[in-house]
Amino acid sequence: MLTRVVAELGPWTWWIVGLALLAAEMMVPGFFLVWIGLAALAVGVLSLLLWNATFWIWETQLIVFAILAVAATFLGRRLTLRHDATDEPFLNQRGASLVGRTATLLEPIAEGRGRIRIDDTIWRVTGPNLPIGTQVKVVASNGRDLTVEPL
Amino acid sequence: MILGGFDIVVIALVVFVILVLFAGIKTVPQGYRYTIERFGRYTRTLEPGLNIITPFIERIGARMNVMEQVLDVPTQEVITRDNASVAADAVAFYQVLNAAQAAYQVSNLENAVLNLTMTNIRSVMGSMDLDELLSNRDAINDRLLRVVDDAVQPWGIKVTRIEIKDIRPPTDLVDAMARQMKAEREKRAQILEAEGSRNAQILRAEGAKQSAILEAEGQREAAFREAEARERLAEAEAKATKMVSEAIAAGDVQAINYFVAQKYTEALSAIGTAGNSKIVLMPMEATSIIGSLSGIGAIAKEVFGDGNSPPSPPRPRQVPPRTTPPVNPFNQAPER
Repeated sequence: MLTRVVAELGPWTWWIVGLALLAAEMMVPGFFLVWIGLAALAVGVLSLLLWNATFWIWETQLIVFAILAVAATFLGRRLTLRHDATDEPFLNQRGASLVGRTATLLEPIAEGRGRIRIDDTIWRVTGPNLPIGTQVKVVASNGRDLTVEPL
Repeated sequence: MILGGFDIVVIALVVFVILVLFAGIKTVPQGYRYTIERFGRYTRTLEPGLNIITPFIERIGARMNVMEQVLDVPTQEVITRDNASVAADAVAFYQVLNAAQAAYQVSNLENAVLNLTMTNIRSVMGSMDLDELLSNRDAINDRLLRVVDDAVQPWGIKVTRIEIKDIRPPTDLVDAMARQMKAEREKRAQILEAEGSRNAQILRAEGAKQSAILEAEGQREAAFREAEARERLAEAEAKATKMVSEAIAAGDVQAINYFVAQKYTEALSAIGTAGNSKIVLMPMEATSIIGSLSGIGAIAKEVFGDGNSPPSPPRPRQVPPRTTPPVNPFNQAPER
């Protein structure tokens, strides 16, 4: 029955499959089905052109579809990497978001370690030895510890 | 339709490709980090966005939530330094800063942070007196934050905040504290009242003293003035007497008779006109009046000479000083 439906729909089968996959991606976003769906649509376009060609049998179509699916995935990744700009580059990167901020030393920096208070929490800092109360500026962050230098 | 071997291979290939894509494409949502294990060993962390990993070789290890998280620290009994048993609960906030460390350095991160916080609440609060405990929450929070944050350092997380939510001493202790407060306030009230009445009494006594002093001063002043007045009066009398006696010495002795007679008749008229007097006092010596009258006659004779001889000229005679009515000015009571 399935083969009869496919035979009757002809090249449009791929279009239907492709659009269905895109719709499924919308319902369950995972950035996975969308590439396969795009590959199916591409095969659909090729099918419209080559439906009557002798080599365009269903096995060929499936192989082309598999190749296109992998290609679409890598192409898509490259595209998303290129358009990765965001207005919140330091989201969920607490330490990095503090670079450039100034604060006063809560504890003197001795042997390279001290503490400052920013945003009502205490951060451990590394830097040159400084007395308590010195105004310092955060110049770098390596996750937990901040590097400071005197203003 | 009969499937040949090639057909099955093609179908299997498509299925395989789809599975590979499924295993290789990883979308990491914002707020999460996925750790990647290659043959079970951690290699890297996936950032949010579309990621492709090598299927079969690489695998997602842990899905770490890097958003700040709230940890409810359940109520626990704490014994303070002065042996009061209080119930305290708290809330802690922490955030994963290094997903790999948080995923692999500690097993069951949340439970670890929770237990660390609980034990440190015990040690920090146990080193304080109850009074300190109830009044120094900020200090407790600060100390807790420092201690716990240092302790969680190897786990790649940061404890951003620990707040003691509630400190409940046992009810009998709360009652005692309430009574103590009440007693202290009552004590203050009583002291204030006593001070008030003491001040009032002092003020009143001072007023009485002042008024007594003023009164005495007034009397003293009055007495001084009175004495002065009496002196002045005596002086005046003395002067008057002196003037009179001088006048007499210079003039005639009959002048005395004039004065005496005048006073005498004045006194008589005063006695006579007194409306309420039932008795008429007569001088002890009625003849003295006559005597004084004769004194007047002598004066008249002295003044007018013998030009008009009176019908019966009284015989001039000396008025004996004994019989003169008291005219001593010193006997008169001073006017007040």
